[in-house]
Amino acid sequence: MKDDPIPDQDHIARYCSFQKLAGGLPQPTAFMLKRDRPGSPTEESLSVNWLEYLECTDRISEIAEIRRIYHETFDVGAQAKMAVLNVGEVREKVRTESPDRRILQVLHDPIEPKDPSHSGIYNLRQNDRVIAELIAETVLESYSAR
Amino acid sequence: MPELALQEKAAQDATAIYGVKFTLDDSPVDLSNISTWPLDPRAQPATMYKAGISPTVNQEYREATVNGWTENEDPFTQANLLDSEDNKVQQLISQIRISTFIPNNARLVNRLITLFNAAKEEYPDSPGISVDSIHSFYHFLQKHTYLKYPIITLTPDNEIYASWKGVQNQVFSVHFVSNENTHFVIFKPNENNPERKIISYGTDTADTLMKTVAFTGICDWISDER
Repeated sequence: MKDDPIPDQDHIARYCSFQKLAGGLPQPTAFMLKRDRPGSPTEESLSVNWLEYLECTDRISEIAEIRRIYHETFDVGAQAKMAVLNVGEVREKVRTESPDRRILQVLHDPIEPKDPSHSGIYNLRQNDRVIAELIAETVLESYSAR
Repeated sequence: MPELALQEKAAQDATAIYGVKFTLDDSPVDLSNISTWPLDPRAQPATMYKAGISPTVNQEYREATVNGWTENEDPFTQANLLDSEDNKVQQLISQIRISTFIPNNARLVNRLITLFNAAKEEYPDSPGISVDSIHSFYHFLQKHTYLKYPIITLTPDNEIYASWKGVQNQVFSVHFVSNENTHFVIFKPNENNPERKIISYGTDTADTLMKTVAFTGICDWISDER
């Protein structure tokens, strides 16, 4: 359900465009919010997908399903990747190491009907560079986004 | 000052080779004084400029060209082109290309063009790379010619984010927004508490940033000792 917190033991995938990769690895810029611009909607959270919500049997199947969702919802860059993170690790890392001991929330934010596993990392601010660096340190795996 | 003298020599050489005016002071780049792309005389404009024939975005170590940039035979009679954000980015990249005193300048240029192409591919109406950001990055590179090659990516606002990573998860990252507005993040190990890290962050101008962060000792590991 919308706004349900994702359990700490679960995993999320974050789409990372080529500009936010180096050597094929997601960099801190993949975990930054876009700044407000006149006429553009405010980005309140980092979009992610909740892998366990998909109820697949293994990680490979989850990744295949996320690729299908990406393909159906936006233009996927040829070199783009998805970063897989553990929810609890992200939250713990940021809570214990960020200067303001920030408590992030990772909430289910389904977009029906095409993207029901869509979720968000909340309580981020624009220009949270330190937190973006910390989140980047928790990336477990990365996969091609298509 | 020997370093400045060396830079001036390189600039004079560049001017002699490429026939462009090139200054080394810290004042903003006067784009009207910059010649057209590409400044490398080996380049073949007839084939370099056509959209659709350039390398794909993951080929940054190869000579890169820029998708969709139109050929500009006489920029001095096409003043309107100077108003274009893409054209300004193109010219600043050209400046880096001829700035042979900047270490790894060819590699930097290829990386920037690759990022520009990728950003344009994803969002054709975006600036590719922010002009203010690349301007700030260029001034920073001009001033600090001793730095190792950084990891370069773009923020969601198409601004340059350069990172240097050292042993024990040391990090020095700079977000180039404009000359007046650069932001840094430093992670360094806490020797008294190895499981913790010391985090420094702040905002400064591009020209004084390195002086500001010198106390953290980052120059010991981000400098290229060659």
